[in-house]
Amino acid sequence: MTGRSITVADVPALLAGAEFFSTNAAGEGIEFAGFWLEDILARTGPVELVTADELDPDTPCAAVGAMGSTVAMAELPPSGEEPLVLARSLAGRFGAPLGAIMPLNAASVNALQPVAAAAVLGLPLIDCDGMGRVFPLIHQTTYELAGLSLSPLAAVSAGNDSLLLDTGSARAEQIARSITQAAGGWLLCGMYPTRVGRLREAAIHGSVSRTLKVGRLLREHASDGATAQALVGDPPWGGASPWPAHAGPGDGEWSRRGTAPHERLLRDLTAATGATVLGGGRVVELGPSPRQAGIVYPGNPMSMVVHDHDSGRLIRLEAHNELVLALADGALTAAVPDLLCLLDRGTLRMTGPERLTVGDQVDVLCVPAAPVWHSVHGLGLGGPGAFGFPLRHPRQEGR
Amino acid sequence: MKRAGRPSEQLTVDELVRYGPLGRAETLVGENLARPVSRVALISDLDQVRHCGPGTAVVLSRGLAQGAWAVESALRLAWERSAACLVSPAVAGLDQATAQLARRMRLPVFVVTGDTAACALDLAAAIASPDAARARLAARCAELFAERSNARGIVGVINSEVPGVTAALVAPDGRVLAGQASVDRAEHRVQVDVPGPDGRRWAELVAATTGPSSPSWSETVLLILRLARGPLAASVARERLEAVHGAERGRAALRALFASAGADPGPAAQKGPAGRDRGDDGLAVPEEALGWRVGGRHVAVFLRSSTPLDTAAAGPGVISAWQEAVDDLPLVPWDTGWASWWTGDRIEVEQVASALRRHLARMRSPIPLSAGVGRAAEGAEGLRESLSQAMLAAGVTVRDGHGTVRSFDELGFRVLLASLSQPELAGSARTVLADLLSAPDGPVLVTTLAALLDCANSTSQAAARLGVHRNTVLGRVERIKARGVDPDRPDQRLALHLACYALLPELG
Repeated sequence: MTGRSITVADVPALLAGAEFFSTNAAGEGIEFAGFWLEDILARTGPVELVTADELDPDTPCAAVGAMGSTVAMAELPPSGEEPLVLARSLAGRFGAPLGAIMPLNAASVNALQPVAAAAVLGLPLIDCDGMGRVFPLIHQTTYELAGLSLSPLAAVSAGNDSLLLDTGSARAEQIARSITQAAGGWLLCGMYPTRVGRLREAAIHGSVSRTLKVGRLLREHASDGATAQALVGDPPWGGASPWPAHAGPGDGEWSRRGTAPHERLLRDLTAATGATVLGGGRVVELGPSPRQAGIVYPGNPMSMVVHDHDSGRLIRLEAHNELVLALADGALTAAVPDLLCLLDRGTLRMTGPERLTVGDQVDVLCVPAAPVWHSVHGLGLGGPGAFGFPLRHPRQEGR
Repeated sequence: MKRAGRPSEQLTVDELVRYGPLGRAETLVGENLARPVSRVALISDLDQVRHCGPGTAVVLSRGLAQGAWAVESALRLAWERSAACLVSPAVAGLDQATAQLARRMRLPVFVVTGDTAACALDLAAAIASPDAARARLAARCAELFAERSNARGIVGVINSEVPGVTAALVAPDGRVLAGQASVDRAEHRVQVDVPGPDGRRWAELVAATTGPSSPSWSETVLLILRLARGPLAASVARERLEAVHGAERGRAALRALFASAGADPGPAAQKGPAGRDRGDDGLAVPEEALGWRVGGRHVAVFLRSSTPLDTAAAGPGVISAWQEAVDDLPLVPWDTGWASWWTGDRIEVEQVASALRRHLARMRSPIPLSAGVGRAAEGAEGLRESLSQAMLAAGVTVRDGHGTVRSFDELGFRVLLASLSQPELAGSARTVLADLLSAPDGPVLVTTLAALLDCANSTSQAAARLGVHRNTVLGRVERIKARGVDPDRPDQRLALHLACYALLPELG
């Protein structure tokens, strides 16, 4: 970012940050979107990043985000013209053209889509989002909590089908999800049409800057990681954990030389995001979780166990697309809506159960969600119960 | 059992596993099973675990156990509440990590394939009435005792069925007849006497309990031991009966075998009617039925004891000790001892003698035994001869104490001397050699005289055999002659030699 704009040069950091806040699995395979966004920004020029306060409160705005499968999107990428269709649809309903774009969530591929939309439409991008992370459903947002209406929902499919849905939030989610299946695997959506003034209460502010900041940190340390790997003679970004079992960073040689690369990165990440490190060590168990959640979430539940190197505790992580909760020795220590992230010590990149195997070394981080998520309504919409876990969020324990 | 008035002690997790409803569950973690279970809680919401008291058996309902995370959450809460154990329905993904966690918390975890609610009900019933559960255990043991036919099996029932108890059957001399030898060192023991077939104390049934046990549990263990006593006495009686019966069959078969081969080698008492002999029960026992090999090359051995012998009384003990040490060779009561034989194309006397020495050393015979070994010979006739030789040899070794084994050839013609009627000959010898014996060193002189006669009056050879200087021997010969005994008179030599041999055993 140069000043208050997002340029081509910012895309790699945006991508890395998007991966971090995707709380693992959803961040997989979004590299294509980086090249795609770089192309668009090279053509349109930088996107102006503004705070909600900097705009006229009456400015019409809408959230932009994609739903569906990133794999499908990688195979059939957006043409770049979709935001024009969305803007036209929503302007028709609004009676006035959009004056700004805000992200649905500044994480995963949806950290990049609003930038592209703002670039294509020539509109400013508001530095906020509605999740502060990734949630599986498009109505699990702070916009929803603040009472903004998800619909009318404008959507454009991979096949350039266009539709405008005018219904309740939960139904819009259901209908749009089935259309997604039929229309090619993904939909780019414009939703929560509102005025900028309402965002003061409804949005998580500074999300885009935060994603960029964390992304830059990861990029800096990634070069450290590459150096570290060169030292032990492994190619950078190797598929499996490149550290030999007894010579990895964090022990032996590395400890003697000073702080291991992953420890330095963890220190910087915790400082930047307010995260806590739940523990780190070897993955000892990994497999599907037989949870019979009566919820129509896409994806398969998975479960993994990390043996914490220092305390000997067993940290069990339950994942359903995103990492949902962490139990340390059976005690619930972290859960949605807080973000759980896994750092691969070998590659110094964020990772997830689907990219790990038993024996890999990881660190488990918990980034606190925006305060509004810890409200009773926030936990109802995005807490463990919303994911089918009959558990109280650790913050509810004292209540 | 006196139960009235005493509050029932709580069952432990282990007891619930051994004879309670948890016996049907799979044990994921079986640590710390000695904890008493005070109550059962069927949990359908994790928060309910927070209200469980110490010693609760926490049973998770099927609806709650949605994955390893739920079981681990419950495990953690149960551990915090000091629960006795956790029972979970079978959940996919319940794996090593969960087991590892439970082991670290030392909390037993059981997995039930069926309905956990039914398991909770069964547990509640068992916990409500520990005495009923223990009575069921005693009944089960009694049922199993009846199915076992030997002491090892009966003691094994106690060891396998009764939780936290190790049992052994111990002979009066401290020898463990069956079960686990470790009970002897245990601190907390319960024991009952087991009568033999004669009604007298034959052995002791000892049970060791781990840790100090409650009075009612001790009573339960004692009850089970008492229940085992009858079947144990019956089993030992049966074993003895079988041993005696087997021995008699063996004797009949051997007599029949020798009768068909020629004359009987034993004394007159053993002689049967002409032709194929018949057993005491009037039935000829074909040796093949006993698994004997009659053809081929045999080396017979004969075992006997120096103690005045009641073969019938000591027989079963000797035979069972033999079978324990040598399971593939017969031992047949024969004359004043027991006969056996090795068969093989290349069998040698020395080989048999050394094997027999090893067996005798290992045998836990109730009486001291020594043995003689015959020559190797072919067929039934050969076996008969070999046995006669072994019996003669055993007549010599019997004076040398337990475990001595000598062969017929090794002893030479001296075996003949052993078969002379000992008390009569010794009496006559004492009279004949009274003068010599009355000398201050009488026994020494008799020994020297025997050695001199053995060595054809060579004083140097006799000195070497006795381990003394020749002059000593010469001095003794002078004193012998001074007492009117002349070893050089040819007409007296044989009688003198016999008299010496008759006295030697009692001179030591």
